[in-house]
Amino acid sequence: MQREERTPPDKTAPGVFDDRRAQVEAERCLYCFDAPCTSACPVHIDIPAFIAMLRSGNAPGAAWLVRNANALADTCGRICPSEVYCQPACTRGKQDAPVRIRELHLYATRSERAREFHPGTSPPTGKSVAVLGAGPAGLGCAFELAKFGHHVDLYNDGPPGGVPLKSIPPFRLPEEDLVHDTGMLGRFFTAHDGTIDAPVFGGITRNHDALFIAVGLGRDRSLGIPGEEMESVFPVLEFLETAKKRPHTLRIGSRVIVVGGGNVSLDAAATARRLGAAEVTLLYRRGEQQMLVWSAEIREARRLGVEFRFHAKPFEIVGRGRVESVKCRTMRPGGENDDSGRPVPVEVPGADFFLPADSVIVAIGQDVSADWLTGLSRTKKGFISVDGKFQSSMAGVFAGGDAVSGEGTVVRSLAHGKQAARAIHEYIMRKG
Amino acid sequence: MKSEQDGAAGTAPVRDLSYELLGIQIENPFILAAGPSTDDIDMVRRAFSMGWAGAVLKTTSVEGTRVDLAYPMISSFNHDGKLLFGMGNIDLISAHHIDRVEATVRTLKTEFPGKLVAASIMAGKKDDWQSLVGRLENAGADLIECSFSCPQGNIGEDPGKMLAQSVAATELTARWVKEAARRIPVSIKITPQVTDIVDVARAVQRSGADALTASNSVQALMGIDIYSFVPNPPLAGKSTYSGLTGPAIKPMTLRTIAEIARHVTIPVLGTGGASSWRDAVEFMSVGARCVQFCTLVMHHGFRVIDDLRSGLSNYMDDMGFSSPLDIVGRALPHLAVHDNLPRRVVRSVIDESRCIGCEVCYVACRDGGHAAIDRRESRIPLVNPERCVGCGLCPLVCPEACISLAEA
Repeated sequence: MQREERTPPDKTAPGVFDDRRAQVEAERCLYCFDAPCTSACPVHIDIPAFIAMLRSGNAPGAAWLVRNANALADTCGRICPSEVYCQPACTRGKQDAPVRIRELHLYATRSERAREFHPGTSPPTGKSVAVLGAGPAGLGCAFELAKFGHHVDLYNDGPPGGVPLKSIPPFRLPEEDLVHDTGMLGRFFTAHDGTIDAPVFGGITRNHDALFIAVGLGRDRSLGIPGEEMESVFPVLEFLETAKKRPHTLRIGSRVIVVGGGNVSLDAAATARRLGAAEVTLLYRRGEQQMLVWSAEIREARRLGVEFRFHAKPFEIVGRGRVESVKCRTMRPGGENDDSGRPVPVEVPGADFFLPADSVIVAIGQDVSADWLTGLSRTKKGFISVDGKFQSSMAGVFAGGDAVSGEGTVVRSLAHGKQAARAIHEYIMRKG
Repeated sequence: MKSEQDGAAGTAPVRDLSYELLGIQIENPFILAAGPSTDDIDMVRRAFSMGWAGAVLKTTSVEGTRVDLAYPMISSFNHDGKLLFGMGNIDLISAHHIDRVEATVRTLKTEFPGKLVAASIMAGKKDDWQSLVGRLENAGADLIECSFSCPQGNIGEDPGKMLAQSVAATELTARWVKEAARRIPVSIKITPQVTDIVDVARAVQRSGADALTASNSVQALMGIDIYSFVPNPPLAGKSTYSGLTGPAIKPMTLRTIAEIARHVTIPVLGTGGASSWRDAVEFMSVGARCVQFCTLVMHHGFRVIDDLRSGLSNYMDDMGFSSPLDIVGRALPHLAVHDNLPRRVVRSVIDESRCIGCEVCYVACRDGGHAAIDRRESRIPLVNPERCVGCGLCPLVCPEACISLAEA
C-alpha cells in the first residue's frame, strides 16, 4: 500500500534490497539502546533509528537520517566496508548474524532518491570557509559547515568526487550513485574549478576565516628498482583512472603483476582481470593476515581468479621497452615489529625467482602531491600533521582525509571532514 | 498436480489420542471449524485422510436463502513481519444449501465412519431451523452446530445484530433447535462480543442445548489504506467490518472459554485463534473439550495436523496424561479475582552470562517502568533492587530471555 506518487525503490539496481527483503532484514534489528553499531560508524549514523523507520514504512525519514549524517550516502551504501565498522558491533551478531546494515542504508537512500533532501541549517553566520579538495573529506566538511550556516568556497581541479570518482572501479561503485550524492551536495557550497598553486593558495588564505585542506594523495609511490621506467609499468592511480575513463587505451597484456597488499591493489588486480588479463598475480611482501584489506575484497579477487604470491617483493623489472618478467625476492616475517604492529619483512637469501609478466602495476601507496603546501608541518611519512581537532601547524588551517592519514576508507574521510567542520565552527565562532 | 511432499517424509509417531466427546468417539481433539476449508467434499476428504478427527461443514441454510458474496473477502492484519497475525473475512455462509450438504454428510459418513461429521446451520424462522436440524440428523450428521454469531452480514431475524447478542433470542432459538434434534447433540456457536458472556452461556444451558462453541470471529475493522482512506478489504472504494480470526484473537478466546467454563456445566467446543498444539492445550486447560481450527489451515493447509497430533502426543507423554480429557479445566483453579491474588515481593534478575548487551531492558524500564536498571561500562545492565518493583516488563523485552523474576 503505497502512495501512488511515491517513487518506488529502483528494483532494477543490482544489489539493492526489494521492499520485502528490506522489511524482513529490518525486523532483525534489536534496537539496542545507545547502539554499538552507531558508535562504530565513523559518521555515527543513528542506525537503530533509521531501521525502525524502515520498519514502520517511513523510508523518507530513514533516508533523511542517513543523508544528514553521511554526505556521500549512496556511495557509502555501496562501498562502505560495513564488515569492519557497524556490522561487527551489531548485537544481533551475538544471536545469529549481524543485521545487514549497509544494505538497509542503501535501500533507504535508493528508495528515496527522487525526493529532495533538506537538512536543518542554521541562519547564515557571515563567516566564510575555504575547503580545498572535493573528495569525501572535503565534501563531508563543506556539508557540515553549510549546516552551521557558514559560506563555503570549495576548490577542486575537476568535478567533485575525489578517489571514488577517479579510481574506485565501476564494478564496486556505480557512477550514478556517486553522481547523485555530489549532485545533491552542490547547493551547499560555491564551487571553484581549477588547479591550485602557491599564489592561489595565498589568496584563498587571505579571503577566508578558516581553511580545510583535503587534497588527498596524488602521487603514487615508486618501487625504486631498475626497469620501473618501462612503458608497461603503471602507477596504480594512473592505471585505475585510465581504466575508468579510457579502458581501450590500456595495453596491459595477458600477464599482469600487481605489487602491494592494500585494497587499492585488490581493486587494480580485479580491474586487470576484467580488462581481459589472463593471469593476474598479486605480489605482497607480507602474509595474507597482514594485509590491511577487507575479507570481502579478497574473496572477490579470488573469485575473479587473481593469484596471490605472499612473502615476495620485486627487485628488478626485466624487459626491452616493455616488461617481460619480474625478478622477485622471497621474504619472511622478521623478529621486529614496525609502527603498524606487524613484523618487519626481511629478505630470504638464495630464494629469488622470476615471474613472467607483460605489465606491472605498482600499488604500494601514495604521497601528498600538493607542492604548494609548504608552510605546514608534515609527519614522518610526509602526511600533513594535525592535532586531535584536525588543526594543522598553521592557525585557522585544518586538514583531514587521506592527506593526513594516508589511504583510508571513504567513510573515514567523511568523518574527518565532519569532525573538522565542528572544530572549524568552534574556531571561527570563538574568533568572533 | 499431486504434491510430491504429501507424506513423503513420513509422519512422526502419535499415541492414541481418542476419547469421547458428547457421546461421539473421536480420534483426537482437532476438528476443522466451519469455514472455507469445509465447504467442499474433496477438501474434507483430504483433511480426513491426513488425520483430522472431524469437520464442521460450512454453515448451510434452507433452499432459496440468498447468499450474496462480495469479493475480495479476506484481508490481513500483519504485525511486525508476521503475515496473517489476524485474518479478516467478509465471507457469508456457504452458497451450498441444505440439499447439497445433506448429500455431503451421507457420503462422508459412508466413506469415513470413524470421523466426526458435523454440520453448521443458520436460519431465520423457527421452521427453517427445525427443518435443517431434522434433515441433517436423517442424513447421519454426528453433531449440529448453530451459528448464532457470524458477524459478517446477517441473515438472522434481527438484521444487523448477531443472534447471540440477545440473551432472550439465544435461549428461544436454541430451544427450537434442541426440540428438533432427537438423536444427536446440538452446540450453539456464540460471539465473544457481548456485555456478559456468562448470561449468554447460561441461556444456552437453560435451553437444553448440549454444548457451546466458543467463540466466533470478532467483528473488526481490519485496517485503513492511509493513502486512499479505504478500509480493508477494499471493494472498489467501499468496505465493511470483517470477522477477525487467527493468533490476534487467541487471548480473547481463552478468556471467553474460561469464563463460560467457570459458570456452566455443558461442554465447550473451543475455537477462535488457536494456531498450534500448544494453543489447543491452552484452550482445553481452560475448559474446551476439543479445538477447532480454520485460519491456521487456510494459511498453511491441512498438513498442520501432523504437528498438532505429534505435538500433543509428545506433550501428553511428558505430562503423564492418558487422555486429552486429562487437560480439560486444569488451568481454571489457578484463576482468581485480583483481590485474591497473592502479594509477594519479586525482583528482576539478569543472567549476566547470557546477556548480549542490547540494553533494551534498560530503556524499557527507564521509560516504561521504574528506572530500576542501571547502565554499566560493560553494557551488562544492573538491576537496582531498591527501585525494582518486579513489574515484569524487562523479561518480556529481552531478546535473549535472560531476565527472570525471583522472590526477593
